[in-house]
Amino acid sequence: MTTTLIIAQAASDTVGIVGGIGAKALIVGLLTGIAFGAILQRVGASSFEMIVNMLRLKNLTVLKFFFLAVAAGSLGIYTLDSLGTANIGIAPLYLLGITVGGLIFGVGWAISGYCPGTSLVAMGEGKIDAAITVLGGLVGALVLALTWDWIKPLLVDPLNFNANLPDVLGVKPLLVAIVLTAAIVAFVIHLDRVDAGRKPAARGSTGETPGPAATRS
Amino acid sequence: MELVEADAAAKKRLNWIYGGIMLGLLNTFAVATYGALGASRNYVAVDGFLLRLFGSSLTSTNSYLSGMPSQADWLLMVALGMIVGGFLAALITGTLNTRAVPRLWASRFGTSKPKRFAAAFAGGFLLLFGARIAGGCTSGLVLSGVAQLSIAGFLFAASIFATGILTAKFLYRKKAS
Repeated sequence: MTTTLIIAQAASDTVGIVGGIGAKALIVGLLTGIAFGAILQRVGASSFEMIVNMLRLKNLTVLKFFFLAVAAGSLGIYTLDSLGTANIGIAPLYLLGITVGGLIFGVGWAISGYCPGTSLVAMGEGKIDAAITVLGGLVGALVLALTWDWIKPLLVDPLNFNANLPDVLGVKPLLVAIVLTAAIVAFVIHLDRVDAGRKPAARGSTGETPGPAATRS
Repeated sequence: MELVEADAAAKKRLNWIYGGIMLGLLNTFAVATYGALGASRNYVAVDGFLLRLFGSSLTSTNSYLSGMPSQADWLLMVALGMIVGGFLAALITGTLNTRAVPRLWASRFGTSKPKRFAAAFAGGFLLLFGARIAGGCTSGLVLSGVAQLSIAGFLFAASIFATGILTAKFLYRKKAS
């Protein structure tokens, strides 16, 4: 009886924990988050205008930044993995929930001009509407939790696979990561040309300087 | 003519190439140490903390909330760090900005704060409602998920850009008049 209680207690203490709760895990987590937030802020990915103009396909700077980050991360992660030191987690693939959830997310993204991470960064910058988006997010997450028992059998349980690309293709993960990185870099270079072609006034080919800023000066 | 954000902030930005490589390296560091970067899980975790604070039993009875941690973990500290990182980066570069209504929004929908706040709230609601159905957001499913070659990440990315682009094109379409 006592043993059962202790086991139950231990289980409830570790449930849902990601990355650990020790002092070192918490400090490294904080520093990782600070770096994450600072990079997003410095590039402009936490800016409402930059996000909305990306979704309007008017300024692709954040898209290029983000795709490049995915490519660099993939190459880095699978290089580490081939050395045997990465904590890789494969997200479950449930076709209905991921599609429906993504479609709902996209509408919220365009309306708010933020995503769950960049709203936190923009809130740190002082932007009041970003703090309201975080508040809306807390309520949205709560409503999802309260309706989970109804949503799960409908959208999450059916067509649920545990699949990642290397397994499906039957190819070594590092090779897939290298091909993905090459494809993304080619795509980003293409996007950069599109951006540069649209903004003849922009300095250089990096597309960093928005056209209007150049015309204004 | 397009309206861009405060010119001072825009001029001081970090080049996207450097930023992209830095974020890729940071994600590699995260996966090498504790796990992949993510944001949306933390909203449910904070909901759980708040409910506990107010003495609600939902954190043990609700099937979703009972799967949330009862204490701060690495991933929660990442979210806290993102707020601090945004603040510090803006402070150091002189780009702190307490504006309530973005200029681009104002040029389309006017300068009304309640109107912008209602949209910001509704947008945030949809973001997290959708993200938690899918099991992640732009960070967890795309930045980390696609980098880790999860097919779920590719599908999520396609879905969010589909409605994201359509909604933005519709909201900021040229006025008929």
